[in-house]
Amino acid sequence: MLKILIPTLMLIPTTWLTSAKWLWPTTLAHSLLIALASLSWLKNLSETGWTSLNLYMATDPLSTPLLVLTCWLLPLMILASQNHTTTEPINRQRMYITLLTSLQIFLILAFGATEMIMFYVMFEATLIPTLFLITRWGNQAERLNAGTYFLFYTLAGSLPLLVALLLLQNSTGTLSLLTLQFSGPTILTSFADKLWWAGCLLAFLVKMPLYGVHLWLPKAHVEAPIAGSMVLAAVLLKLGGYGMMRILPMLEPLTKELSYPFIIFALWGVIMTGSICLRQTDLKSLIAYSSVGHMGLVVGGILIQTPWGLTGALILMIAHGLTSSALFCLANTNYERTHSRTMALARGLQMALPLMTTWWFIASLANLALPPLPNLMAELMIITSLFNWSWWTLALTGTGTLITAGYSLYMFLMTQRGPLPTHIIALEPSHSREHLLVALHLLPLILLILKPELIWGWTA
Amino acid sequence: MVNFVALAREHWVNILVPMGFVIGWYFDRQQDQRLTAFRNKSALFGRELKPGEEVTWK
Repeated sequence: MLKILIPTLMLIPTTWLTSAKWLWPTTLAHSLLIALASLSWLKNLSETGWTSLNLYMATDPLSTPLLVLTCWLLPLMILASQNHTTTEPINRQRMYITLLTSLQIFLILAFGATEMIMFYVMFEATLIPTLFLITRWGNQAERLNAGTYFLFYTLAGSLPLLVALLLLQNSTGTLSLLTLQFSGPTILTSFADKLWWAGCLLAFLVKMPLYGVHLWLPKAHVEAPIAGSMVLAAVLLKLGGYGMMRILPMLEPLTKELSYPFIIFALWGVIMTGSICLRQTDLKSLIAYSSVGHMGLVVGGILIQTPWGLTGALILMIAHGLTSSALFCLANTNYERTHSRTMALARGLQMALPLMTTWWFIASLANLALPPLPNLMAELMIITSLFNWSWWTLALTGTGTLITAGYSLYMFLMTQRGPLPTHIIALEPSHSREHLLVALHLLPLILLILKPELIWGWTA
Repeated sequence: MVNFVALAREHWVNILVPMGFVIGWYFDRQQDQRLTAFRNKSALFGRELKPGEEVTWK
């Protein structure tokens, strides 16, 4: 664990001490080295599943894919931010990279924590660098509003979790994930117990986000700089899914009845957010709403709590992390050229940037879950386990999948096909950096087709 | 002739992250050794290793 955490800590002094000329190449190279080193976690020989144990941290098959995704994303964020920060003062650039690095540190500590309270503290700590990213590096004045929404939605959701965790500590005497699974079943009958159940899950449902408490997400995504959008879509939302998977075994007898409305809400959200995407004009907002839809499926898969549901949820979290992050990068390449997120203003880009269209095409297909990709495997597993629970869910998941395909095609056709508008007279050609960036998102996704057991979680 | 002093002054920061990796790897290994210190040492549960078996548990 420390072999990744300490180098990540050392990345901060590296950022401040390296010369201005070498700032971006150095941090990129080192973060990429850390990401490659983190792949060693995937080799898990332990019989209990827990490996890289130390006093406070460990990884198991559930957290490993998310940890590797976290480490993988830092070099990509650095690669993506290089262009739009060049005009800023050098110390502001250094601060930017420091914030991204600190976010990675907090995320490693959150996903690696063996104590629920440590997880909680780090879960909250990730808010701080993200808030700074949104409110200091956002492009419009609305970013302050978005920051407020982001902070207060998440905080209001997670304060009950703190109380719920302290109550759990009081009754079981431990919050360690290693021992908590062996504590006997708790008798939960009173109304207060049901409130405790909701308190345990609310923070994660807001973070996911569940449809109904999702309003912070499109705002945060639209206002954040590219790295903020990337990390938000790829990793921060997954904190919610991860937390739910960790805490659900402790809520056992109550979940069967109480999760009903939440599953329905999540599936309803898939359709609603999909429909919102169908009539969206703002590119970043469209990708953000599509994230809410996919996360709805994840919530459904987790709350069903069958091995298939949980595995599907984990696969979808990883696959969606890579796909949506790639889409945000592509949206940013448009934004850096046209300085607008409005789709109608940058149409027919295939004429101007044909290779970018290839990336758009692959990313859109991944978003709508094309057959061999992990996205489809995940959706199938979740839909199957939901179908097994109740036949009626197929009406919601089926329509949701159809709408997903619809808006992904809408996004692709709207941005890439058709004639180039006349007001676009001078487009900057695409950089190798941008192609590398998208390739580094989509290659892991394609490689995961060949070895999906890496992201199967406990089932593998 | 390469100017090593200038090279070192410009690029010494590149040592920080690899150094962190080595330190972290060392601490990780130390912790693993501490956790497995009593593996197969118990008089009650200790046993002969089967052929081809490296340790009793991982």
